[in-house]
Amino acid sequence: MTFTGLIGAICMFPLRVIISLCVRLRIHPDVLTFVGVLINALAAWALGVGRFVLAGVVMIIANIFDFIDGKVARERQIETEFGGFWDSVMDRFSDLALFLGLVYLYSTLGRTDYVMLTAVAMTFTVLTSYARARAESLVEKCKVGFMERPERIVLFMIGAFTNRMAAVLWVITVLSVLTVGDRIYYTWSELNRPKSRAAA
Amino acid sequence: MGRIIWNTVYWTYERATWQYDLMVAAILGFIWLTPPAWLGDPTASGRGFLGWLLHFFR
Repeated sequence: MTFTGLIGAICMFPLRVIISLCVRLRIHPDVLTFVGVLINALAAWALGVGRFVLAGVVMIIANIFDFIDGKVARERQIETEFGGFWDSVMDRFSDLALFLGLVYLYSTLGRTDYVMLTAVAMTFTVLTSYARARAESLVEKCKVGFMERPERIVLFMIGAFTNRMAAVLWVITVLSVLTVGDRIYYTWSELNRPKSRAAA
Repeated sequence: MGRIIWNTVYWTYERATWQYDLMVAAILGFIWLTPPAWLGDPTASGRGFLGWLLHFFR
């Protein structure tokens, strides 16, 4: 087992308990998604006022809700297409809220450079998910590129807990730009594959 | 070498693979070892591990 696989397996133990508790309490997954977004808004506020450790703790709580909603839906066998759509839209809101918190923080500190860096990171974060969504209306799957939402969230938490948000922003920006490029290239190459090979 | 660079840029590996672990290690190394001053970090200060090492061997 790899190191990241081991961490994932360890984190799944408490999450399984929370999932079964939510199933037993018959909490609707869409409600879990919405509560997660509200808590994320609180994390954005904490980032905005520079309380990074608090923001990190709140992000953990918010993302537990975000992680378990789909699993609860599956366990309760109430998966719906709207649930998937609602989850995706709320995910974008949560992402943008965290970036907005940082934009506010850096603007109050008078750091236009980091306001711009955060704005670029925010732009490519949106483009990352848009590129995949649009590509998957043309090709079957477009899951290339490193910087997806789970990676971004974990990086935000690391930046918050260890007060290295600037370095985290650079990583998110560079890898998000590459991810968007990867998805454009992948979609282009899939669409330009000879039809006979694609059919085989 | 060119192949390694291409595979890093054009990322197609799944999570929980050794390539993914390597990438995570490189990212964490950059985040924790780079001195905040090098990046002009608005909220962090200090030398960071890399800056401390450079200072130590100077």
